[in-house]
Amino acid sequence: MIDPRTRLFLVTAVGVLAICLEQPGALGALVLATLLPLAVLRVPGVWWRRGVIGVLTIVWSTVLSQGLFYAEQPRVALVELGPLVLWREGVRWGLVQSLRFVAVSLAGLGLAVSTSPDRLYAAMLRLRVPFGLALMATTALRMVPAVGQELWTVRRARAARGRPAWRRAPWRWLALEVGLLRPVVARAWRRAHALAESLDARGFDPLAPRAVRRPLRMGALDGGIVVGVGLVTATVVALRVLYLLYVGEVLYVPALRGVYGFVRGWL
Amino acid sequence: MKGLSLVEAGYRYPSATAPAVQGVSLQVAPGEVVLLTGPTGCGKSTLLRLACGLLQRHGQGGVLGRVGLDGQDPATLAPRVRVGRVGFVGQEPADQLVAGTVADELAFAMESAGQSGAEIDAALGPLLASVGLDLAFDRDPRTLSGGQTQRLVVAAALSAGAGVLVADEPIAQLDPRGATDLLAGLRTLARDRQLAVLLVEHRLEACWPFLDRVVVMDAGRLVADEARRDIVPGHPLLGTLRGLGLTVPGVLDLADRWGLAEAEVAGRLRTAPGRGEVTGEKAVAAEAAAAGRGEEAAAADRPVRVRAEGLRFSYGDDVVLGGIDLCLRAGERVALLGGNGAGKSTLLGLIEGRLRGRLSVHGRVVGVPQDPDLALFQPSVRDELAHGPLEAGHADVAGTVAWAAGALSLDPLLDRPPHALSRGQRLRVAVAGALSCRPDLLLLDEPTSGQDHDQVERMMRALTAALVEGLLLFATHDVDLALRHATRVLVLHRGRLVADGPPRTVLASLPASLPIVVPPLAALCLDAGRAPATAAELAAAVSRGPRPAGGPP
Repeated sequence: MIDPRTRLFLVTAVGVLAICLEQPGALGALVLATLLPLAVLRVPGVWWRRGVIGVLTIVWSTVLSQGLFYAEQPRVALVELGPLVLWREGVRWGLVQSLRFVAVSLAGLGLAVSTSPDRLYAAMLRLRVPFGLALMATTALRMVPAVGQELWTVRRARAARGRPAWRRAPWRWLALEVGLLRPVVARAWRRAHALAESLDARGFDPLAPRAVRRPLRMGALDGGIVVGVGLVTATVVALRVLYLLYVGEVLYVPALRGVYGFVRGWL
Repeated sequence: MKGLSLVEAGYRYPSATAPAVQGVSLQVAPGEVVLLTGPTGCGKSTLLRLACGLLQRHGQGGVLGRVGLDGQDPATLAPRVRVGRVGFVGQEPADQLVAGTVADELAFAMESAGQSGAEIDAALGPLLASVGLDLAFDRDPRTLSGGQTQRLVVAAALSAGAGVLVADEPIAQLDPRGATDLLAGLRTLARDRQLAVLLVEHRLEACWPFLDRVVVMDAGRLVADEARRDIVPGHPLLGTLRGLGLTVPGVLDLADRWGLAEAEVAGRLRTAPGRGEVTGEKAVAAEAAAAGRGEEAAAADRPVRVRAEGLRFSYGDDVVLGGIDLCLRAGERVALLGGNGAGKSTLLGLIEGRLRGRLSVHGRVVGVPQDPDLALFQPSVRDELAHGPLEAGHADVAGTVAWAAGALSLDPLLDRPPHALSRGQRLRVAVAGALSCRPDLLLLDEPTSGQDHDQVERMMRALTAALVEGLLLFATHDVDLALRHATRVLVLHRGRLVADGPPRTVLASLPASLPIVVPPLAALCLDAGRAPATAAELAAAVSRGPRPAGGPP
């Protein structure tokens, strides 16, 4: 078992890498890496299917919108349909942005479904995160899968009592979609209230020292992961910084031309 | 004093003009099991939260009177001390889970109390056993059934050695056998550990044998506090309970109405005239007779709504349904019985289309989920009821709304936001919303949850009247409900259909190994060759006939 602090580190590393990487191929590899924990956890097939549909929807919609509305110069037209032009640079930018979002979301999801809230909370406290923030973060993470499931149940219940959502005027469709959040929010409020009562009734005191049945221990595997991923992340950050210095005409080192080329072409 | 004590206790919510609870004086001594009951919204849950100090610490309203845990105000106790004095169990067990494994869930309160790892590990096994659970310690609590979760939450609340347990509907999600086991466990803990137990519960029949006292609330005040052993036929508390629309244990209720001792009810049921006059008895008798002559042939004219042959379903390696053969037809009211985890909700999900399986379903299916909140997405009850008819393009939407609201007694609530209503009211809105769609198949998952007896009766009668040509399929733990309102009963056990037929036939021959318990009054009726009915129905019918010689006055 990986220590929850290591898991938090991995999520942070994914966030940093998602910012530093700009090549769709590299970001695609990062997305694949974030899928690994979900594969290990043997997430049911139905959730994989829904996840793939969700990811494709995010990527497609971002690519399309960026491709259509890209305004920077220079730009090259990929497809022209009358007044509508799909710009190559916009498509690429949309792909980069959506893959960043997907990578970070998957990392967060992996953390949420693989780590119990109390272990995550303990890890955050050990990392000196303020207790209020730690509790809020762990509670929010804990609710992610449940809220997703409930939203799906609400949609099913609505579908059973009406026409398909798309068979109506756009504003009606939008109003209906917003309305679907009503039961989910009400349920989330009730759940949060019940959880708070439960924590309080079981003697939870954020200000008091607390015995821990299973103290957090970082083993050799944790050390290896932290060192390995940390080195990779630090290297990517360093290379990106060097490249930005070069592009910004702040620092150019002729001996690093190969590095600049690598960053431009692969990262 | 030891245990729990409240002296003139009360609570006023910040925006309220009057206290939700006031003037409550109550003591629960170590070793006592006390039931707190009353109509929906009378302040029971508020009183429980007051008793364990939750409202004093987190409520914005005003606290009245005094509350004591072993003589000390719970609001002044440090959390690590308080957790060793009182345990609290709320209504939704799944929402109270705080940890990722069964062991961590149990350990949480002990960790709060500062117990060592060795102490905690030694206590885990006995804790689980005390609530009748046998689970792997590393299992994720979110994968447990509703009943298992409920027991785990009770064990977790008591893990730090609390001397008082305050529980809000702790058996709401348990099957009858599970409920009996948990209550028996609590009774044993009360005796052996001198635990003081204060519990709120609508299922009086299930609780009754395990109680020391019964406390009744109405409109925020205590109206009765009686020792259970003193509550015999003729006791005024029975009239109080009935007057508040609450259930009275069936045999006791009938004995009281007939003026007999409880032990005499069975004999009177056998000898009393009036058989055949009880509501629904003729229909049930005819149905049983028809079954003997080959009922299937008579029903074959009705259109098939659901047909499944060898229906299987599994979550990963966990087989939930293992080969179900089923044919449900229009006009049937089918009760789906079974213990926790038998596969009832899964079967409903398959028929509704939430889950994928190989079965054929004909007609429009509308289901009400176990959590009715998830079927309520409109800003008002009126809009909720109008949604289905509007979507279907019905000509008389207002008429349909009025009809559905009337059927489920929702007329005064039409302009209220659904999520501002009580749980029982929300359930009725969800059912009415489904009914207004005029479905061919209406599926209900635990339709009695959070509702008192009168509300359930009204709802089931309305559904029976509204779905003459439709199919009503409802999953329930309430065997009495199935006996009185179903034309057919399906019994699931560990994913298999182990019984299918008319309610009387099926329930009279249930194997003892199943976690289904026929309520005592229904069992006496079946033994006497009568159709199961409520005490009120039996009393009304029998009182019309002459009393046998030597019978009660």
